[in-house]
Amino acid sequence: MSGLLHFSEHSLQEFALGFMALVYIIRLVWLIHFKAGRDRQAQTGAANTNPRKGFIYSWANIAMPWAMESTRTKFFLYVQFAIFHLGVTAAIGLSFVIPYAPGLLESAALVIILKTIIGAAFIVGVMRFVRRLSNKYMRAISSPDDYFSLTLLTAWFFFAYLSVPNSTESGEWHLLGYFILTAFFLVYVPFSKISHYLYYPFTRYYLGKTMGHRGVYPMRHVPQPREQR
Amino acid sequence: MGNRKRSYKAEKVIERMGKKLNRQMVASLVACVHCGLCTEACHYVLANPGDPTYAPAYKADQVRKFFKRHFDWTGRILPWWVKAKSLYTDEELNELKDTVFGKCTNCRRCSLNCPMGVDYATFNRMARGLLVSVGVMPEGVAIVSKDQWEIGNQMGVLKEDYVETLDWLSDELEDELGDPAVRIPIDKMDADVVYSINPREIKYDPRTISDAAKIFYVAGENWTMPSECWDMTNFGLFSGDDDLGGAVGRRLYEKVVELRGGKLVISECGHGYRSTRCEAPNWAGMDVEFEMESSVLTMLRYIKEGRIRVDKTKNKIPVTFHDSCNNARSCGLFEEPRELLSLVVEDFREMYPNRAENYCCTGGGGAMSMSEYTPQRLKSAVTKANQMKDTGAEIVVTSCHNCVDGLTDLIRHYKLGMQVTQLVNLVANAVVVEKKVAVPVEAVPVMAEDNVLKGYRILVTDDEPDFVTFVSAVLEDHGASVSRAYSGDEALELARREKPNLITLDIAMPGKSGKEVFEEMRADSDLKRIPVCIITGRPELRRLIYDRPVPPPEGYMDKPVTEDGLLLNVRKILETAHEKKSSEA
Repeated sequence: MSGLLHFSEHSLQEFALGFMALVYIIRLVWLIHFKAGRDRQAQTGAANTNPRKGFIYSWANIAMPWAMESTRTKFFLYVQFAIFHLGVTAAIGLSFVIPYAPGLLESAALVIILKTIIGAAFIVGVMRFVRRLSNKYMRAISSPDDYFSLTLLTAWFFFAYLSVPNSTESGEWHLLGYFILTAFFLVYVPFSKISHYLYYPFTRYYLGKTMGHRGVYPMRHVPQPREQR
Repeated sequence: MGNRKRSYKAEKVIERMGKKLNRQMVASLVACVHCGLCTEACHYVLANPGDPTYAPAYKADQVRKFFKRHFDWTGRILPWWVKAKSLYTDEELNELKDTVFGKCTNCRRCSLNCPMGVDYATFNRMARGLLVSVGVMPEGVAIVSKDQWEIGNQMGVLKEDYVETLDWLSDELEDELGDPAVRIPIDKMDADVVYSINPREIKYDPRTISDAAKIFYVAGENWTMPSECWDMTNFGLFSGDDDLGGAVGRRLYEKVVELRGGKLVISECGHGYRSTRCEAPNWAGMDVEFEMESSVLTMLRYIKEGRIRVDKTKNKIPVTFHDSCNNARSCGLFEEPRELLSLVVEDFREMYPNRAENYCCTGGGGAMSMSEYTPQRLKSAVTKANQMKDTGAEIVVTSCHNCVDGLTDLIRHYKLGMQVTQLVNLVANAVVVEKKVAVPVEAVPVMAEDNVLKGYRILVTDDEPDFVTFVSAVLEDHGASVSRAYSGDEALELARREKPNLITLDIAMPGKSGKEVFEEMRADSDLKRIPVCIITGRPELRRLIYDRPVPPPEGYMDKPVTEDGLLLNVRKILETAHEKKSSEA
């Protein structure tokens, strides 16, 4: 392993992680300094709903594609979402496995699983990019950050895919590319849309709490004949 | 942010945004990933394919961009990277007004379809409030808000008109049921129920009040209506003005406390229920000690407790139910109306999608008062129209007055041939009245009914001869002396010559339109006191009701009209106008 690759896998990652954590803490402090609105009114809606059930349902919403019309009727987009985010999880995990537990990659099964997930996520990344470019509505709402973040992640998947199973037989360029992109990604995330997962617990908590208090969440799914046709 | 000069209004909008932001809003403003999943949740998008400016995420970005420019770090440092942009000119504020008022009804459908839980409707309302704070708003919103601040109700109904109408309705009920106990109690202390209504009911839809009174009477309820502070609607919800919202709510709550009322029952109005029951305590910063409930729950409870009996065979016509967005998506009120319907109608047909997934009637968010956006409102109603048409029902029931008007407009626009009604009307029709009634309903003396309009001169104006014939026949059969006009010019000429006691007026007519005739009459010192009842199917009517370029008409009815509805409205206008004249004299 070259000194540059060692630096990229360790010192650079540790610095980037530390930086990201610091910026995230600042960001959370900033968000929390805004006062939270309060629901003074007595609860409405069905007796089996309440704020607690509401926010738990809201948080769990991500794993319930049937819960929202938008994911229920666009199931293929939901599958893409799932693959893409599994890919992110796998690629982040890989950035810890290679430097700190490389022995795990001796498992052929794990290599296949990682390659499949990350490879699929790369394909989804490309599809999402095409959708963002070709769909009029998506173009209208997209900012340079949206295009760049997607490109960055898709390129990162590409290098992550090549980096499994941590082989340097054909050189170190793919590993260097992966770790340098990981570090860049970590530093860039707090300033970009990618930081949405930081806000997700908040948005869904507050929406869920309100909707639970108002008797809307947990939503009772009533079969809609048009969907069944 | 450069040296570009910013208008005073833009300066204030930005300054006030900082004060309005709370954690929920900030989280929603920063969390959007532009995934586009909200796009097809919006009825405006579905009706305007190919126009991305209607997409919820796009609309949200019009607010988000100046939030990012002033409050979010990436937007401050690299604005172009995240499409952050400040506001500088009054023109930009007007463009924002067209987005937040004209392209969104705050129905919250996109919020419930956002994987991130971004509540666009909440910060769209905030943006409305910011614009309202610098005087940038649709004219109707300004006028209605002003009346709610100054007069205490959104239609500017004066106390004497309100009390006179309730007295008149009491007389009617007493005649119908033959029992003085049926009269509407006003300002009764220690009542178990204080009933609050939408001003539209007292002004243009008195049937809903008498139907509710009939139900309270049969249930043996100890109830009352306040003589003041009775308006449960709240334009603060639509305008985003929390101060107005709080003031309106507080007025009503304090009245209930003053009357030592046990419970506040809110008549069927989606935004009124949401505002009074859910939002106003937050806007007013006060905890409300007494119970509040929708009249839908009250009626259902009466049936379940055996306090009223209903006969569903009296409502045979197939009905469907439209969920008001405010009731369903913001208050969880969707099963109870269905349960009630199942008890009072024979043939109920579900509309799809429904409950919290239902589409907006397109009249929500104050849209009925924003006449400048009427064409896009009606265009966006196509989704709702198709939903309704697919049910095959002849009547659409809804628990919201805005929805009644919004659906009426779209039924006419898309020629659906349906009628709109509310649960209170169906329950009152199905309720079994027994024992206490001295004179059964069927036995009301025919002769008395026949001459109820005797001595009144009425000018009927419409360019459709069949309609003129129908209205004239109904009025003449009940003793009125009727003149007929088939154009605006003819109406004006006859009005000047005959000085009738009432004019019924269509809006769409060749030559001078009904709107022009009405405005001309209101400006004419000889004619301005003649009561007018507009009978139309045209949405232009809403401008006369909300924007009020001249004092609004004494009554309005949406076509098609029924004989009963026509008589009730005409009599209410004539008899309350007569009482007013007598008391003035």
